[in-house]
Amino acid sequence: MDNSKKIIDKIKFENIQPIPRWKFLLKNGAVWTAFLLAVVLGALAFSVVLFSIQQSEFDLLSHMSHSRLEFLLGLLPFFWILTLVVFLVLAIFSVQYSRKGYKFTVTRLVAISAALSILLGTVFFIAGGGEKLENAFAVNVEVYQSLQEKKVRIWTNPEEGFLSGTIVNTDSNNSLQLKDFEEKTWEIRYQDAFISPRVLLEPGEKIKLVGKLTGQQSFQVEEIRPWGGRENRLQRGKGRQE
Amino acid sequence: MHVTEQICQELSDLEIVRKSLRDVEYFACLYNRYEPKLLRYIKRISYSTREESEDILQEAFIKIWRNLHDFDQDLKLSSWIYRIVHNETVSFWRKKTSYGKNQKVAMPDDLFDGEDHFFGEENAEDSNTRKIHEVLQKLPIKYREVLVLKFLEMMSYEEISDVLKIPEGTVATRINRAKKAFIQEGGKSAFSWS
Repeated sequence: MDNSKKIIDKIKFENIQPIPRWKFLLKNGAVWTAFLLAVVLGALAFSVVLFSIQQSEFDLLSHMSHSRLEFLLGLLPFFWILTLVVFLVLAIFSVQYSRKGYKFTVTRLVAISAALSILLGTVFFIAGGGEKLENAFAVNVEVYQSLQEKKVRIWTNPEEGFLSGTIVNTDSNNSLQLKDFEEKTWEIRYQDAFISPRVLLEPGEKIKLVGKLTGQQSFQVEEIRPWGGRENRLQRGKGRQE
Repeated sequence: MHVTEQICQELSDLEIVRKSLRDVEYFACLYNRYEPKLLRYIKRISYSTREESEDILQEAFIKIWRNLHDFDQDLKLSSWIYRIVHNETVSFWRKKTSYGKNQKVAMPDDLFDGEDHFFGEENAEDSNTRKIHEVLQKLPIKYREVLVLKFLEMMSYEEISDVLKIPEGTVATRINRAKKAFIQEGGKSAFSWS
């Protein structure tokens, strides 16, 4: 008996059926869905990376007297960079499981996935997706340290020359009272300081100060910046209307 | 329905696949068309006996049958069939050699049955053929398989890429390394590449 006959007999005898086409289509569809999902999630992570870079004030490095590296590392959004990397790896992994995945080298897959995530992430960032996602994490994920919390931590550092809080009241001889985010009240002197044009110096306004500690509760300012963000802009709009 | 050899010869690979899905008897055409080439290929990379090669091929063809709907028509059917047979053969070879790290697989006596074309040299002397296989046998399987596909099965880089599921660039690199390993193992003056 020839071998082809043996195979046909075996197929018939054991009633071996070809796997239905839909199962292969489903598998292939799942692989590409996983790839797209990984790219979109990677893009969202990248949009938050962009948002946090936009929010970071790298120029403060020049004011640091020590631990600049520590400060720089504190500014980098490691959580989101790690998330981006994880989704890039997942995207590459899923493509390799696709029918034609083997045609691409790992380098090319990394380049394609990264390019897609960066492109889409930039679009999300421009559309405000990065900020929304960051805020959603800040509100809903307890262990997540939001950019806002990070910002407060950086700007509540009077020994290093950084202070922030809400203006309680102002007086005419270049001084004001400020309550920091730890509810401590400070006497602030800002003679000869550079004041950002966006700062109104009104009670209730949130500001950031660069300067030096002059006493237990007093601070000499070299530069006044707005606290920044949507809330501040809204407040400023209201102030002008009034 | 019995499918005669004459009917098979008139059909293309794709027509056989389509007809097989309607009538399993046509699947015999596919088997008969590829059997000699594939048996030779199995023996070339795994040094299995004729009986073992036939068993491997039978198992591979059952897999081909089960996965017939998965055949991507952008590929050549022969590449897809070689891929499945290759995987089955490597799996067999690994099982065969996993009993002991230093175990060598003996070269079967029937290895040189049928026509062979070595490195562009047709009807090579038997002693030369044996020598080539002795050297190939000493190489790691990843080198052996690319040399066999390129120089004995006469496949293009694209076809090898489709069989081994690796990028074409990797095929080229691996062939270069395999050539070097072959020359190192067999002696520089022994063979010429074409």
